[in-house]
Amino acid sequence: MTKQKHNFCLAIEFFRKISSMKQTKILFYSVFSILFLLVGAFAAFSQEDIETVNDSAFENQTRPPVVFFHDTHNENAAIEECNACHHMFEDGKRLDDDDSIGMECSECHCSKMKDSMADLIRVYHLQCGGCHLKQKTGPVMCGECHRKR
Amino acid sequence: MVGVAFTVFLAGSFFRLISMWRLAKKKDGLIFSYISIFFALRSIVHWILPFAGVSMRKHPAMTIVAFLFHVCLFAVPIFLSAHVILFKESWDISWWRLPDMAAEIMSWSVIGSCLFFLGRRIFLPEVRYLTSLSDYLILAAVAVPFISGLWSYHQWAAFQVVMIVHIISGEIMLMIIPFTRLSHMLFFPFTRGYMGSEFGAVRHAKDW
Ligand code: HEC
Ligand code: HEC
Ligand code: HEC
Ligand code: HEC
Repeated sequence: MTKQKHNFCLAIEFFRKISSMKQTKILFYSVFSILFLLVGAFAAFSQEDIETVNDSAFENQTRPPVVFFHDTHNENAAIEECNACHHMFEDGKRLDDDDSIGMECSECHCSKMKDSMADLIRVYHLQCGGCHLKQKTGPVMCGECHRKR
Repeated sequence: MVGVAFTVFLAGSFFRLISMWRLAKKKDGLIFSYISIFFALRSIVHWILPFAGVSMRKHPAMTIVAFLFHVCLFAVPIFLSAHVILFKESWDISWWRLPDMAAEIMSWSVIGSCLFFLGRRIFLPEVRYLTSLSDYLILAAVAVPFISGLWSYHQWAAFQVVMIVHIISGEIMLMIIPFTRLSHMLFFPFTRGYMGSEFGAVRHAKDW
C-alpha cells in the first residue's frame, strides 16, 4: 500500500519537474503554435475557393446563394480574360488591359443612391445571365443560379 | 415573346373597346345621351368598395373571396420581386417590390379563391345552371400561372419545365383578356357606368 503510494507521488513529482523546465515549456508552446498556424492556413486556403457569389452589399439575401465555382466555371467556360468580368473603365471607356480584381461589383455598381439594389442585381444578372444567353449555354432561370440545396 | 403578349393584350384591348363603341353607336346610338358621369361614377364606386351594395352584403363569403382574389390577382404579377427584377433587366425601369413572403401568401390566396369559385360553380345549382365549359377553362387559365409560379419559386421537381409552363400560361392569360370573359376588366367601367346612369338619371333608383 505505502509502496504504491510512494511510486505514485514520485511520478507526479517527475512530471512537475519536467513541465517546469524551460525547454519543455518552449517545446510545448512551439508545437501548439505550429498546430494553430496549420489550422489557420488550412481555413484561409479553403476560403480561397469561391463557391458562391456573395456580395457584401446584399445584407439580407432574399434568394438562395448563387452557385459559382469561380475557377472551375471559368475553366469550363473557357474565359481567358479576367476582365471579362472584373472590368475596369476610364472616362466611360472599357480598358482592355486593366482589371478590377479584388473589388466587389458593388463597389462601383452600388454608388448611385437611387434604388441601388435593383441596379446591382441588374448588372449581376446582365453579366452572368447575358453571357449564358448569348452563348446558349449555362443557367438562365432564377432557380438554376439561386439553387436551394 | 413577352413583347408579343403585351402587344396582343394592348392592341386587342384597344380594338375591342373601339369595336364595342362602334357597335353600340350603330345599334343603339341613344345610349350615349343617357350617360351621366356623376351617376356612372356613383355606381362604380358602390360596386368597387367591399360591402357597399346590397348584393354583396347578402353574400359575405363570396364578397370577401372575390375582393381578396382581385386584389391579389393584380398585385402579385405587378409587384412580384422577380417580375420587377426582370423589367429592370430588360427596360431598366423598376418600382416597389412585394416581399417574397407576402407574394407567396397572396398567390396561395388566388389559388384558394379559384378553388372556391370552382366549388361554387359545381355545387350551387343557380350558378351551375349558368356555367359552361369556358368558365372552367378560364378558371384554369387564371390558376395555372399562379400554381406554376409557386412551383418554380420553391424549385420543386422539374421546375425548369414548370417555369416554361409558367411563362407561357402567363402570356396566354394576358393575351386572352380582351377576347374572353376576362374582358370584364376592360368593360366593367362602361357597363357599370351605363347601368348607373340609367338607374340614377332615368329611373331615379339605386343599382347597388
Ligand atoms: C465569370 C466572371 C468572372 C471571371 C471571368 C473572373 N472572375 Fe473573379 N470573381 C467573379 C465574381 C462574381 C467574384 C465575386 C465573388 C464574391 O463576391 O463572392 C470574383 C472574385 C474574385 C476574387 C476574390 C475577390 C475577393 O475580394 O475575395 C479574386 C481574387 C478573383 N475573382 C480573381 C480573378 C482572376 C485572377 C480572374 C482571371 C483568371 C478572374 N477572377 C476571372 C467573377 C469572375
Ligand atoms: C472599377 C469599377 C467597376 C467594377 C469593380 C465593376 N464594374 Fe461593371 N461597370 C463599371 C462602369 C464604369 C461601367 C460602365 C458605365 C455604366 O454603364 O454604368 C460598367 C458597366 C457594367 C455593365 C453594363 C451595364 C449596362 O447598363 O449595360 C455590367 C453588366 C457590369 N458592369 C457588370 C459588372 C459586374 C458583374 C461586376 C463584378 C464582377 C462589375 N461590373 C464590376 C465599373 C465597374
Ligand atoms: C463570358 C461568359 C460567361 C459569363 C460572364 C458567366 N458565365 Fe457562367 N457559364 C458560361 C458558360 C459558357 C457555361 C457552360 C460551361 C459548361 O459547359 O460547363 C457556364 C455555366 C455556368 C453554370 C453551370 C455550371 C455549373 O457549375 O453548374 C453556372 C452555375 C454559372 N455559369 C454561373 C455564372 C455566374 C453566377 C456568373 C456571374 C458571376 C457567370 N456564370 C458568368 C459562361 C459565362
Ligand atoms: C446567371 C445566374 C443568375 C440567374 C439566372 C439569376 N440570378 Fe439573381 N443573382 C445572381 C448573382 C450572381 C447575384 C448576386 C448574388 C450575391 O452577391 O449574393 C444575384 C442576386 C440576386 C438578388 C439579390 C440578392 C438577394 O438574394 O436578395 C435577387 C433578389 C435575385 N438575384 C433574384 C433573381 C431572380 C428573381 C431571378 C430570375 C428572374 C434571378 N435572380 C436569376 C445570379 C443569377
